Amino acid sequence: MPLTRRQFLKWAGATGVGAVVFNGCRVPDHEIAVQSPVEMPEDLVTGRDNYYATAAQLGTASEGLLVRVMEGRAKKIEGNPDHPVNTGKHGIRAEALLQALYHPDRIKRPLLRIAKGGPFRRITWQEGIERLTAILQAREPGQTLIATPPLRGRIADVARGFAEGSGARLLGFDPLGGDQVVREAARRLYGQTAQPDFDIARAAYVLNFGADFLGTWGNPTRYARGYGEFRQGARRSRGKLTHIGARYSVTAAAADRWVYAPPGSEGLIAMAVANAVLDGGDLPDADAARALTGGRGAAALQAFAPSRVAAQTGVSEDVIREIARELAEYKPALIIGGGPAAAQANGLFNMTAVYALNALAGSVNRPGGLIFNPPPRSQEVPAASLREWRQALTDMRSGDVTAVLARDANLVHGLPGALDATGALRSVDTIVSFSAFLDETAEMADLILPCSTPLEEWGTDEPNPGPGYATIGFQQPAVNAYHDTLSFGDALLRAAGELGVAALPWENMREATRALAQELHEQRRGSVVQPTFAEFWKRTLERGGWWDTGATADASRPALPQLPAQAPGVPQSADASRYPYFLAAFEGVGVGAGQYAHLPWAQSAPDPITTAAWGTWVELNPHTADELGVKNNDIVIVESATGRTLRAPVYISPAAPPQVAAIPMGQGHRAFTGYAARRGANPLDIMEPAEEAETGAFAWGATRVRISATNRRNVVPKLEGIEPARQLHGEELIFTHTPGRKSEQDH
Amino acid sequence: MYHRRTLTDAQINRELLDVVFRTPMWWVAIVSVLGIIVAGAASAFGFMMNQGLGVTGLQQPIFWGFFITNFIFWVGISHAGVMISAILRLSQAEWRRPMVRAAETMTVFALTVSLLQPLIHAGRPWRIFYWVFPYDWARGIWPDVRSPLVWDPTAIITYLTSSTLFVYTALIPDLAVIRDRSTGWRRTVYGILSLGWHGNPRQWKLQGIAGILLSALILPVFVSVHSIVSWDFGVSLVPSWHTTVFAPYFVIGAVHSGVSAVVTLMIVMRKLYKLENFIWEEHIDAVARLLIVVATAWMFFFWLDIVFGLWLREEQEITVWQLRMFEPPWSWLFLAFIMFSYIIPVPLWLFRRVRRSFTWMLWTSLMVNVGMFLERLIIIVPALMRKGPWTFTFDTYRPSAVEVTIIVGSIALVALLLMLFSKFFPLIPLWEEKEGQKLIDEVKVGDRVIPALVKEH
Amino acid sequence: MATRAQTQPKPPAHKWGMVIDLDRCTGCQACVIACQAENNVPINDEKSFLDGRVIEWIRVERYWEGDFPDVKARFLPVLCQHCDNAPCESVCPVYATYHNNEGLNVQVYNRCVGTRFCGNNCPYHARLFNYWEPVWPEDLRNQLNPDVTVRTRGIMEKCSFCIQRIRRATRGGKKVEDQAFNPACVQACPTDAMTFGDLLNEDSRVSRMWEDERAYRVLEALGTNPSVKYLKQVDADA
Ligand SMILES: Nc1nc2c(c(=O)[nH]1)N[C@H]1C(S)=C(S)[C@@H](COP(=O)(O)OP(=O)(O)OC[C@H]3O[C@@H](n4cnc5c(=O)[nH]c(N)nc54)[C@H](O)[C@@H]3O)O[C@H]1N2
Ligand code: SF4
Ligand code: SF4
Ligand code: SF4
Ligand code: SF4
Ligand code: SF4
Repeated sequence: MPLTRRQFLKWAGATGVGAVVFNGCRVPDHEIAVQSPVEMPEDLVTGRDNYYATAAQLGTASEGLLVRVMEGRAKKIEGNPDHPVNTGKHGIRAEALLQALYHPDRIKRPLLRIAKGGPFRRITWQEGIERLTAILQAREPGQTLIATPPLRGRIADVARGFAEGSGARLLGFDPLGGDQVVREAARRLYGQTAQPDFDIARAAYVLNFGADFLGTWGNPTRYARGYGEFRQGARRSRGKLTHIGARYSVTAAAADRWVYAPPGSEGLIAMAVANAVLDGGDLPDADAARALTGGRGAAALQAFAPSRVAAQTGVSEDVIREIARELAEYKPALIIGGGPAAAQANGLFNMTAVYALNALAGSVNRPGGLIFNPPPRSQEVPAASLREWRQALTDMRSGDVTAVLARDANLVHGLPGALDATGALRSVDTIVSFSAFLDETAEMADLILPCSTPLEEWGTDEPNPGPGYATIGFQQPAVNAYHDTLSFGDALLRAAGELGVAALPWENMREATRALAQELHEQRRGSVVQPTFAEFWKRTLERGGWWDTGATADASRPALPQLPAQAPGVPQSADASRYPYFLAAFEGVGVGAGQYAHLPWAQSAPDPITTAAWGTWVELNPHTADELGVKNNDIVIVESATGRTLRAPVYISPAAPPQVAAIPMGQGHRAFTGYAARRGANPLDIMEPAEEAETGAFAWGATRVRISATNRRNVVPKLEGIEPARQLHGEELIFTHTPGRKSEQDH
Repeated sequence: MYHRRTLTDAQINRELLDVVFRTPMWWVAIVSVLGIIVAGAASAFGFMMNQGLGVTGLQQPIFWGFFITNFIFWVGISHAGVMISAILRLSQAEWRRPMVRAAETMTVFALTVSLLQPLIHAGRPWRIFYWVFPYDWARGIWPDVRSPLVWDPTAIITYLTSSTLFVYTALIPDLAVIRDRSTGWRRTVYGILSLGWHGNPRQWKLQGIAGILLSALILPVFVSVHSIVSWDFGVSLVPSWHTTVFAPYFVIGAVHSGVSAVVTLMIVMRKLYKLENFIWEEHIDAVARLLIVVATAWMFFFWLDIVFGLWLREEQEITVWQLRMFEPPWSWLFLAFIMFSYIIPVPLWLFRRVRRSFTWMLWTSLMVNVGMFLERLIIIVPALMRKGPWTFTFDTYRPSAVEVTIIVGSIALVALLLMLFSKFFPLIPLWEEKEGQKLIDEVKVGDRVIPALVKEH
Repeated sequence: MATRAQTQPKPPAHKWGMVIDLDRCTGCQACVIACQAENNVPINDEKSFLDGRVIEWIRVERYWEGDFPDVKARFLPVLCQHCDNAPCESVCPVYATYHNNEGLNVQVYNRCVGTRFCGNNCPYHARLFNYWEPVWPEDLRNQLNPDVTVRTRGIMEKCSFCIQRIRRATRGGKKVEDQAFNPACVQACPTDAMTFGDLLNEDSRVSRMWEDERAYRVLEALGTNPSVKYLKQVDADA
C-alpha cells in the first residue's frame, strides 16, 4: 500500500528534524535510517547466466577459469575453484581475456596483401588455407619457420605435428626467454625437465633471488595463493621472506627484508650463503652438502667466503651470515630464483647456486620446499634461446628461411633492437600471421589468418610449473567465435588435412581434445572417473580439467652434481665507467613484456610500486636524479652500448638503488591496436643482445646504460597524487603489529 | 553639516530620471559589451553541459572549485544590501540615502547570480528541481532536510524574496513619479507597477512602516543566509572546514565584501549617471569608516579561524594551513588575499584624503573584492587538496578556461542586470533624496543657521 | 493507508562486512581489475590518470616508509567502507546515497544530481565522480555486466559491495551459507587478503576475523563506524 503524501511529510519531517536536532544524542536507529520507499538502487535486470569452465595459458602462468556467459556474451572471468593451480583466484591478465575477445581492433577475417606494402584484401578461410598450403608446398624442409609463443597442452602437439609433417621449423618465442635457465639449472641439479613448483604455503622461510614471483614471474596467482597462507594461514606461524634483487618489486615490497644486490651477483651471494651454511655446521641436509661439495664442505666453496663476496657485491657479510643462519633455523626453507637473476651472462651459475641451496636446506621435494613436477603429457614447444633466434634471423637474411609463419610471436617488438628483426623479416619472401591483432610483425604479413582468442577455442593447457602432480586444464569455447576467425589449432589442422600430414589425424581441435580426453578416460584414475566416455567428457569440461594427485614426479633422482669452485668468468657487458647504471627492466604488472599491451585493463592496472600506468618511466634514486639534474617527469635519454636510446620521463623512487635505472617493459609499440600503439618506449629495443654463456638464453638483465637529461617533460600518468605518498605521523592509515608487543594503534 | 547646494524637487527628478527617459549611446555600448560577455559565458556553460564537467579543472578529490567559490562570493556581495539599507534605515543614518537602492538591487542580482552557481556546478542540473524545491515531484521522496544543500536554496530563496519585496516597497513612490511623467506604454507599465500610489499620507505611512518592518524582519535572514552557507563547510568532515567560528566569520566577511562592492558600484554609477549632486565625498567617507570596523572585525574572525584550527595541533589542519600559507601558488594567493582585503586598504582608509577620494576608494574597494574571492578559493580548494591523512590522494586544482569564462560572465551578468535596472528605475531613490533635502534645508536665525526641520531622534 | 508497521524498517536479515588482511595483501591489483570488470567501471585511459580522474571502486594505495636502502612500501586497498554512520549520506540533498538495512551504503545513480558534497564528506576518498560520459567501443560493450547499471556522466559512483551479487544470492529471502558468494574483488584476490560475509552470522569467517587482535578501522576516531576492518600488517623486526 503506498504511503500518502501527508504521512510521508510527517515521517520525513520528523525523521529529518529529529536527525538534525538529536544528532549528538543516540537516537534509535530506525528514527534516522531513512529508507527509500521503493527498492531503488539496483536498477537491475536479472537474466540467466551460465558458467563455463575453461583454462588459459597466460605466458608462463596457467589459470583455470570460469567464464560467466549471458545471452551468448562472456561477461566475467573468475578463477576456477577446482583447478589445482589457481584454486578459484585469477589475475589481471586472465580478467583481460574478455577484452581480447571483444577488442574493437581485432582482425575480423582472413586478409591477403596483393602486393608488398599494399593494402589488404578480404578473403575466405578456404582461400586462406589454400594459400597457406601452397606456401608450404613450394618450400624445401627447413625453409619455413613457424614462430609461436611457447606452447603447452594439445596445441603444442598439433603445432609440433604440423611442423614435422610440413617440414617447417618450429621455434617458441618469448621475449624474456621463458625461464629456460631456471629449467636448465633444475635439470642439471635434480634431473628434472619440468619446472618445479614452490610450496610457499607450507614454507617457514622463503629466500628469493631476483624473481618477482608475486608480481609477474612464473605463475604469480599460484604463488600469491601460497604467499597468503605463508603469512597468515590458519594454524601456522608467520613465514619470513627475504628478497634479493636490483629493483624494488612487488615481491621486494612484500618481503620482510629486501637486500639490494647488483644484477649478476646473485650466484655469488647464493654461494656465499651456501658457504656460510656449511660453515655453520648445523646442516639440515648433510648428504646434500657432501654431494654438492664433493665431501669437502665449506672448504670447497672457499672462493665464496662471505667476506670476499661481500667485498665483491657490496652485500654485507652480516646479511649473508644472517640469511644462512635463518636457512638453518627456519624449517622448511624454500629458495627461489629467476627473472633478472637468471637473465645474466652467468645466469646458469646463478640459478645453479640458488636452487642448490634448496638441497642444502633439505627442502627438495618436501612439504614447504621445492616440489618436482611430472613431465607433461603433451611435450611443450619451449621458448627458443636468443642464440637460436639469432641464427633464425641470420637464416632469414641468407635466404635459408624464406617463409615465416608467426602466431602472436611479435619478433619486431620482442627481440632486442640491435638484432634488427624487422630487417631480417623484410628479406623473407612470405610472412603469414595468425595473430588476432595487427601487431608490428603481423603488419609485415602478406597473409593474415586471424586466430581466435582463448575464450573461443578448444584445447588443453598443462601448467608448467604445475602444482606438483599431473594436471591438464581443459579449454572449451565459452562463446561462439565472435568474428570470422579460427583457432590456431583449427587452422593448422585444416592445412594439415590439405597437406595430408599423417601425424595429425584430427579434423579440428575439438576432436584433438576429445582424443586426449579419451586417453585420460581410459586410465580410470584422477579427478574424473566415469563409466562412459560421454560422462567423462561432460564432467571434465564441467570441472575445467583433469588432474591426478597421485601422478607425481619420479622421486628417485640422480646424484647431486658438485658445485663449481669458482665463479665462471663471464664477459662484462659494457664498460662500467661509460655506462654507469644497470638497466633493471621489469615486466609490466598488466602488459608484461608487451604481449598484453593491447588490453585496456592490462594497461590501466597501475604498477603497484609507482602506481603509474599506460606508459614507460625510469625509476631513479633521488640522489641519482639530483646528480643528473632531473626532477620527476623530466624526460631522460637512456643509452646502452648498442648506441640505441630510449626516452622516458623520470619517476623518483625512494626505493631505487643509486646505481639502477629501472624501466618497465611492455610499451613502445608502433602498432598492436589503438591502446598500445605510439605509447612509451621499449627497453628491449636498447638492450644488448647478450646471451647466457651456456644456454644461449637472452641475458636481458645484463644491460648497462648511461643516462642524460633533456629539458623536456612528460608527466608520468599515475594514480598517486602530486607527491610520493608517505604516512603522516600520528595519522597513520596503515598500522603495523609486532608480535609479542602489546597491540597498540601506533608504530 | 553638509555644504552642498540644495536641490529643488524638480531638479532631483530631472537629474535622477535623466537616463530613464533618454537612452544615451554609452549605455547602449556598455550593455552590449556586457551582453556579449554574458553570452560568451552562457555558451561556455552550454559547452560544459554538452561535454560534461570534464571540461573543468576539477579532479579527485577536489570536487568543488571555482563555481562554489563564486557561489560564496556572490552570496557575500549580496549582504551589503541589507547591511546598508536595513541597519542604516533602522538607525536613521542620514548618509544612507543615495546608496540604499543601489545596495538593495545589487543584493537581488548578486543573489540571483549566486543561486545559479550551484546549478552550474551540479553534474546534472537538468534534474535540479527535486533538489531545490522541497517537493516530492515524481520521485516519491522529499529532499533530505539533513543536507545543508537543502538549507541553502531555502535560505537564499527566502532572502531573495524578502530583498525583492524590500526593493519594490521602496521603489513605489518613484515609480509613481515616472508614471506621472510618461505617456503611452510606459505610463501603463509604470502605472501597474506603482500600485496606484498617490502619495497620500496614509500611503506614505504604510510604506514607511513596511520599510521599517521589512528591515527588521530581513536582518535575521541576512545573518542566517551566510551562516547557512558557511555550514556547507561547517557540517562537513573536511579538515579546516569545521571551525565553530565559521558562521559569524562568513557573515562578517560577506559584509566586508558586500559593502566594498557597494562603494565600487556607487562610484561607478556616480560617474556614469552624473550623480555628483547626490553622491558626495561625505558618503563614501562614511562607508569607508564603516568598512574599517567591518574589515577589522572580519580580520579578527579570520585570525580566530586559524587559531581554532591549529589549537589542537592536528596534523591535518596543519597540513592544510601549511599548504595555504607556504606552498606556491597558494602562498602567493594567500599573500594577495591578505594584502588586498586588509593590509593595503584598511590603513589607507585611515586617511581622510583617501576616504574622500573617489579614485582611491574605487581601487581599494575593488581590491577588497579580489581579495575576498581569493579568500573563498583559499578556504575551499586547499582543504580538498589535502583532505585527511590520505597523502596518496593529495592532488591539485587548476581552473579551466571554461570555469574562468563563467566566473567573468557572472560578474558581467550582475553588471548587466544593474545597467538594465538603472535604465528603467532610478538608482537613487527620489523620495529619499527629497526627504533628505527637507532635512538639510536651513534657515538663518540671527547669526546662527539651524535646520528647517527638527527631527526627533 | 499505510500502517505504521510498513514505515518501520524490517529487522535486518544481514549485516555485510569485510576484513582486509594487510599482512597478506601484495598490492597486486587483481581486485582492482576484477571490480572494473564486474561493475562496468569505465576504462581508465591515460588521460584519466593525467587528469586525476581515475575511477577505481577499489584502489591500492602505496605508502613509502624510509629511504633506500631501508625502505618499505606498504599497500592499503581502499574501497567504500560502508560506514554505519556514513558522513556521505547526510549531506546528500536528494537521498541519492542512503543506508540500506543490510548495512550497505547504497548509491542510487538515478537520483544523483552531482553536487559532489558526498565526495567531499567521505573521509575515505571512496567516492568517484563521472566527469565524462563513460564510453566503451561498441565491441567491448558486449562484456558489460547486465546486472549493473552503466552510469552516466555527472553522477557519483563507488563500491557497492557488489550489491548485485548480494541480491542474487539472497533473492526471496534465501538463506545464504557463509562464503557461498563473494564480491568480485574478494573472489579474485590471490592471497585471500579479503574476507567478506555476514556479520550477523556468528559463525561466518568474517565475524571471527572481526575480533582478531590485529583488527582496526581506518580513521577510527572519526566515528564513522565502517563495515570494513583491516588487519594490521605484521612487522617482524620492527
Ligand atoms: N523488455 C521489455 N521492455 C519494455 C517493455 C516490454 O514490454 N518489454 N515495455 C515498454 C513500455 S510500454 C514501458 S511503459 C516501459 C516501462 O519502463 P519503466 O518505466 O522502466 O518500468 P518499470 O521497470 O516497470 O519501472 C521502473 C522503476 O520504477 C520503480 N518504481 C516502482 N514503483 C515506484 C514508485 O512508486 N516510485 C518510484 N519513484 N519508483 C517506483 C521500480 O522499482 C522500477 O525500478 O518499458 C518499455 N520497455
Ligand atoms: S533492447 Fe529492449 S529493453 Fe533494451 S532498450 Fe531496446 S527495447 Fe528496451
Ligand atoms: S587482490 Fe588482494 S593482494 Fe592483490 S591488491 Fe587486492 S587485496 Fe591486495
Ligand atoms: S566510505 Fe565514504 S562513501 Fe563509503 S559509506 Fe563511508 S563515507 Fe560513505
Ligand atoms: S553527488 Fe549525488 S550522491 Fe553525492 S551528494 Fe550530490 S546528489 Fe547526493
Ligand atoms: S565489493 Fe564489489 S564493488 Fe566493492 S570494490 Fe569489491 S568488487 Fe568493487
